[in-house]
Amino acid sequence: MEQIFVFFLHGLAYAGLLFLVSSGLTLVFGMMDVLNFAHASFYMLGAYFSYMVLMMTGHLWLSMLICPILLFVIGALVERFLLRKVHSGGHVHELLLTFGLAYILGESVKWIWGNYPLSITIGGFLSESINLFGVTYPVYRLFVLLSSICVGIAMALILYKTRLGIIIRAAVNDRTMVNALGINVPLVFMGVFGFGAALSGLGGVIAGPFLTTSPSMADDILINAFVVIVVGGMGSLLGTVAASLLIGELQSFGVLLFPKFSMALIFLLMAVVLVVKPSGLFGVEQS
Amino acid sequence: MTKRTAITVAWVACFLLFAALPFLIGRYQINLLTEIIIFALFGVTYNLLLGYGGMLSFGHAMFFGIGAYTAGILLTSVTGTPFWAVVVCAFGLTALAGFLVGSLLLKVKGTPFALLTLAFNSLFFAIAFKWYAVTGGDDGLSVKRPNIDLGFWTLNTSDVSTFYYITLVVLCAAILACWYFTRTAMGQTVLLMRENENRMQFIGYNTAVSRLILFTFTACFAGLAGAFYTLHFRFVSVDAISVNMTTMVLLLTFIGGTGHFAGPLLGSAFYIYLQDYLSEYTDRWPFFMGLIFIVMVMYAPGGVSGIIASSANWLRERFRSSNRGIEGT
Repeated sequence: MEQIFVFFLHGLAYAGLLFLVSSGLTLVFGMMDVLNFAHASFYMLGAYFSYMVLMMTGHLWLSMLICPILLFVIGALVERFLLRKVHSGGHVHELLLTFGLAYILGESVKWIWGNYPLSITIGGFLSESINLFGVTYPVYRLFVLLSSICVGIAMALILYKTRLGIIIRAAVNDRTMVNALGINVPLVFMGVFGFGAALSGLGGVIAGPFLTTSPSMADDILINAFVVIVVGGMGSLLGTVAASLLIGELQSFGVLLFPKFSMALIFLLMAVVLVVKPSGLFGVEQS
Repeated sequence: MTKRTAITVAWVACFLLFAALPFLIGRYQINLLTEIIIFALFGVTYNLLLGYGGMLSFGHAMFFGIGAYTAGILLTSVTGTPFWAVVVCAFGLTALAGFLVGSLLLKVKGTPFALLTLAFNSLFFAIAFKWYAVTGGDDGLSVKRPNIDLGFWTLNTSDVSTFYYITLVVLCAAILACWYFTRTAMGQTVLLMRENENRMQFIGYNTAVSRLILFTFTACFAGLAGAFYTLHFRFVSVDAISVNMTTMVLLLTFIGGTGHFAGPLLGSAFYIYLQDYLSEYTDRWPFFMGLIFIVMVMYAPGGVSGIIASSANWLRERFRSSNRGIEGT
């Protein structure tokens, strides 16, 4: 029983991390419909930048502040100077461009920080363990979960309760109309893309002390994040939450119950969902 | 001489040039050429999906991988499997796999199709990775190329040039079959499907069936390329079925250009020579590859074949206008 509870918590922590990365992807891929294969590279960059900040200052909160801002700038620049120019070419061009970008970022990271995992250690309360309903559990994993809940609530508030959120949703729905109403849609999209990159970077900062920081970390999470988007339904925030939880738990209990097939389970789930309901669990059926 | 005969002559000349090359170049270069031919076929099948059918697949490597593993498993676990049996089995099994996966994918298109193919590819990858007893998992399988016994003459396939000729003949025949496919009525409906699927349905075609036929067709030829991949490297590992393999075929097809049948042929040569050249100078060759892709997507989305076509057009226009200039004076 205790073991099941611990694995349930592991699943929740991984789901939290997955949500941080895929919430950015929901904005970029689900809403703007840009197939961004470099999204996980932003996550990796976040972890490496965080490593640098922690080396220099030693404060995690500082790196949670600085790294997303840096990633926002990088994301906005990528959108402005690269993606925007190939948008008319459709998905294939965006995909290839971001593939190339992922190659470049991955190799740059190997070049600068070396092709081996770095370990990030944090001190203080976060590195301790506490007693939770009879089991000892590391605080940091609970912190991961808490941060993702905060980000989720903040995103929901921004998207559904503010004027900016209305503009974003309207621009996604009918770009030309919103543009005609006098809103600078390209600027909005640049901001949304940057925000997506920043969320991914924040995921990287938080993942650093939790998983290992290595050049392969991007590949490890990229496909899972895409699976989350597809299973949850394109552009649905609620779907992203549900699918992150589902896949986090599936991953965690898959390792416990069928260690050999844990990898296959996730793809099986995605295949089943897409065959049964191609628009995803919470997606809107497209005509 | 009409344009059509000119093109046929050019192709035959190209084939003869490839046939003559082993007399002119060294072993290393012949191996590289063999690899180029294998990936050219793989790219051509991918282009039938992407360029002709307008279907973006992230999972084409699953068929390449199934073909490669069929060859690998047959050669390691069944002793004395003849060469032709390896090729035929790989072809048949991938046709079956293509049919089964394709029938599950019939309804979806666009982005869900792309991601569903990715899911299936990852599923097959997970199987190949975990089913250690059969596939060798991470370690892969090492195989020996079987010799070909023609009854009166035995072809020694361990000889580099001999294997090159076998690859050249078999895979060029396969590429020719793909080209022929684009010329048939079925191949034309694929183009129609890309351009206007609604209209095609109104006319009375069953687009789902057309899509399934195209998918199965490209799958079995990709499997054939996969079988030759195993035979060429005498080794098969999870690399053959990984997402990276799909990435590679997507990139080389795009570099060659999706607008022309010959695009992937050029793309394969370009990609493999470039990779070979860059990896000689730097370990960081993916960095430069990435840079080249970005530049190509932004400034030459038609690929190498697009560049050739537009410069040919430019020359023709220039020639015409200079003629007009002479007439005017």
